[in-house]
Amino acid sequence: MKKVLEGSHAVSHAVALARVKVISAYPITPQTHIVERLAELVANGELDARYIRVESEHSALAAVIGSAATGVRSFTASSSHGLALMHEMLHWAAGSRLPIVLAEVNRALGAPWNIWADQTDSLAQRDTGWLQFYCEDVQEVLDSILLAYRLGEEISLPVMVVFDAFFLSHTYEPVDVPEQEKVDQFLPPWQPTEQLDPLNPRALNQLASPEYYMEFRYKIQQAMEQALTSYPQIDGEFFKLFGRSYPLVDRIPAVAGKQASLALVTSGSITGTARVAQEELLQQGVAVDLVKVRSFRPFPLQQIREILGGYPRIAVIDRNISFGSGGIFAREIAGALASLPQRPQLYPFVAGLGGRDVTQQSIAEMVRRALSDAPPEDVLWAGLKA
Amino acid sequence: MSPVSFKGAGELPIFSRSAGTMEWNHTGNWRYLRPRYLDKDAPCSEACPAAEDIPLIELLAARGEFDAAWQRIREENPFPAVCGRVCFHPCETACNRGEYDAPVAINCLERHIADNARRQGIAPTVVQAEETGQRIAVIGAGPTGLSAAWQLRRLGYAVDLFDARAEPGGLLRYAIPSYRLPTDVLEWEVKLILDQGVRFHPGRTLGGNLPWAELESFAAVFLAIGAWTSNPLGISGEQLAVDGLQFLQDVREGRAPEISGPVAVIGGGNTAMDVARTLLRLGAKPTIYYRRRLEDLPALAEEIGETTEEGVSIQPLLAPRSLSGEPGSLELTLMPMKVIEKPDSATGKAKVAPSDAPETTIQVNAVFTAIGFQASSGLPLGTMAPVGSWLQQLHVEETPELPILLGGDLVNDNRTVVTAIASGKAAAVTIDALLTDKHPGQLLEAGQVGGKGALSLNRLIGGDRRERQQHVVDFSELNTIYFRYQQRTEHPGLTLLERQTGFDEVQMRISTAMAMTEAERCFRCGICDQCDNCYLFCPDMSVIRNLRQEDRHIDFDFCKGCGVCVVECPRNAMILEEEPR
Repeated sequence: MKKVLEGSHAVSHAVALARVKVISAYPITPQTHIVERLAELVANGELDARYIRVESEHSALAAVIGSAATGVRSFTASSSHGLALMHEMLHWAAGSRLPIVLAEVNRALGAPWNIWADQTDSLAQRDTGWLQFYCEDVQEVLDSILLAYRLGEEISLPVMVVFDAFFLSHTYEPVDVPEQEKVDQFLPPWQPTEQLDPLNPRALNQLASPEYYMEFRYKIQQAMEQALTSYPQIDGEFFKLFGRSYPLVDRIPAVAGKQASLALVTSGSITGTARVAQEELLQQGVAVDLVKVRSFRPFPLQQIREILGGYPRIAVIDRNISFGSGGIFAREIAGALASLPQRPQLYPFVAGLGGRDVTQQSIAEMVRRALSDAPPEDVLWAGLKA
Repeated sequence: MSPVSFKGAGELPIFSRSAGTMEWNHTGNWRYLRPRYLDKDAPCSEACPAAEDIPLIELLAARGEFDAAWQRIREENPFPAVCGRVCFHPCETACNRGEYDAPVAINCLERHIADNARRQGIAPTVVQAEETGQRIAVIGAGPTGLSAAWQLRRLGYAVDLFDARAEPGGLLRYAIPSYRLPTDVLEWEVKLILDQGVRFHPGRTLGGNLPWAELESFAAVFLAIGAWTSNPLGISGEQLAVDGLQFLQDVREGRAPEISGPVAVIGGGNTAMDVARTLLRLGAKPTIYYRRRLEDLPALAEEIGETTEEGVSIQPLLAPRSLSGEPGSLELTLMPMKVIEKPDSATGKAKVAPSDAPETTIQVNAVFTAIGFQASSGLPLGTMAPVGSWLQQLHVEETPELPILLGGDLVNDNRTVVTAIASGKAAAVTIDALLTDKHPGQLLEAGQVGGKGALSLNRLIGGDRRERQQHVVDFSELNTIYFRYQQRTEHPGLTLLERQTGFDEVQMRISTAMAMTEAERCFRCGICDQCDNCYLFCPDMSVIRNLRQEDRHIDFDFCKGCGVCVVECPRNAMILEEEPR
């Protein structure tokens, strides 16, 4: 059924459709609407779940780690400083192999204070062992919650569903809300292989000496790799049921069946703007292919190589920065392509930090720079008042 | 390094966990601190001269176990229905909850618990002490003597209770007006005491028809004859004034005088208030004249409040100078006073002297005096020595072997009902000590609750209160985060018109639901009420509960001594001690 939903509320309804049993979160702009609506759904009996109030994000995640350990589907959400405060627990969730889903609203980190869109908060959690899916629009946000539970429970790892502050979290879009029966079909109850059970006492997450530790980390890496093969099947099933599909990496050519001389790589809501820019540029005679990267973890190395390896030039737009290095997606892509005998020229743009608009004009400008300028030695700033 | 070896990742589970239970690993041996459940004393119990076990009483009341609460009070005080009406409730002044929002309405609850027992016809526990075969004479059947008789019976002594008046009760019956203490309430509570085998001898006056020689045959004598001798005014025309105490007694005995129009009451204590309020109810228009300032009034604030509410005017800094005229038409000359010295810290009262302002003479129909009372007459001569907080021992030369104790208003600085009751209990304990060759001082110390002289018989005779640490929990030792603000329940009262025109009890009863809600406000300082905080917080699941038996203990195999249970205990019913090595 089509509904006009705010991005945040799309998450809330997806969580309800997933029949989540335990929710714990701490409010933070721009995430608050998600858990506010969930609290209402629990309070008015529409969602049969426990809502655990806590005093911090660290505790929120600790609480759902506890609930998930008992084999119960669990949810949390956060953003920016809240996610930063969760950092330690993010490692514990992944190390415990608990398929928790976290809705992460991309927001800039202080100082200085800023509540607007910026991916640095989630990307700073790169190495915690969580899967990260970046969403383009509200429909994808809703669908990704369902996909995240299905995939996370299959490979026993937690998943972050990531989307931009305000551009998605506070924007109303028409959304196809799936029927409960179909969701139940797609997402049956979780069957945990390991669970905390007082009748069968075990010490969980106990000390692992150097003799064991590495193997446990190896298993997490294996699970990440398995996600790359499991996901397309799951996404295929999702497509059959709901008619929508979200590849880990998606190539959108300017002209079907042709490869342009430039690939523009985007993630998050910028992709939507880039689609408009692509059309407009084509009308002006400039063909640029779009490559939407949805999955940052696991990073689909092979697909990146296959899709991007053949382009003479690649422009990457990063709404984030790793200080002293540059845009984080660009660095990951450069790393992926490093093993190729011939590599494209890379134009790594940093744009839109702290919620600054990335418009179709600014995207067109970046495309023009990538097509005409010599390849840079380091970061290219877009829209900077230098 | 673990002795276990494995060949590859495939043999491991997906995350680190033990293969089986780890219960063999007694992590409790890491402990160097050890938590312990240890109940303590509460400031209310310390402040109660009768040492009532208030936190436990409120806990029982909050659960609706009013019967058990009533029995618990009577262990220390056989007069909960009386004290629930007339006590000055120092417990509430000391209540830790006072520092949080408002003290628990302990006095109001005490009355409810006792009234409930009476309404329900609950039978008190029968005294089952082994009879000692010794007989004790108690002279004076007021609160002191009756309290002593009750506790002496519980200690196994035969008691002969003598009183100069026709009925037992002392000032409870003859001096406190019935709008504060209805006669039927008192009679019920007195009967419960006498029913325990106390032989009551009415109409026997010490030094009159009760000769000293008759008492010599007893194993011990307790004198609690009160302070019924009024202080004189010391002015000309004094004989025209009415003794306030005698007036109250006449009213209680059904000899209320016909009185109307303006009348004067001289004094500022509780008796002055009682006299004025009784006169008001009889149809007169009383005014109280007090020689010091309003803030120096010795009467209890509550009673002053009720008196002025009823429309009685209290005129301060006016002392009687002379009285003249005929009965029914008097001229009272009053002398204006001034403060010559600020209140000294001991008494809290300002010193006053006549001022230069002109005297005033007023026309009144009668003058009543209530300016303090001295010991009743009839005491034998001898030397006195203090025993504990509430007693004196009298050594009479003719009978040097006979233990004679004096208590109640004869010796108490603070002459109140509850201090009288405390004195009676101390007398019973002391007599028992003297007759069993124990040292009374040590015995009294062993029964102490806190440091204000409160004496618990339960603790003294090895009851469960002996298990408690003799430490009074103060507000700073509570974890108040677990309490929430709640309004205090107040007694509803009669309308002013009803109060001004009749002798019905001013304070009305509260409902059982109100009582339970109010009792629930009690922090239960120092007493485990099975709130489960320790259980919920213990990270090692080492709090083992037995909910049916209301018992819990620590599993020291796994308790690491972190102390979270002790810190999170809202009421300080646990302690953390060093682990013995």
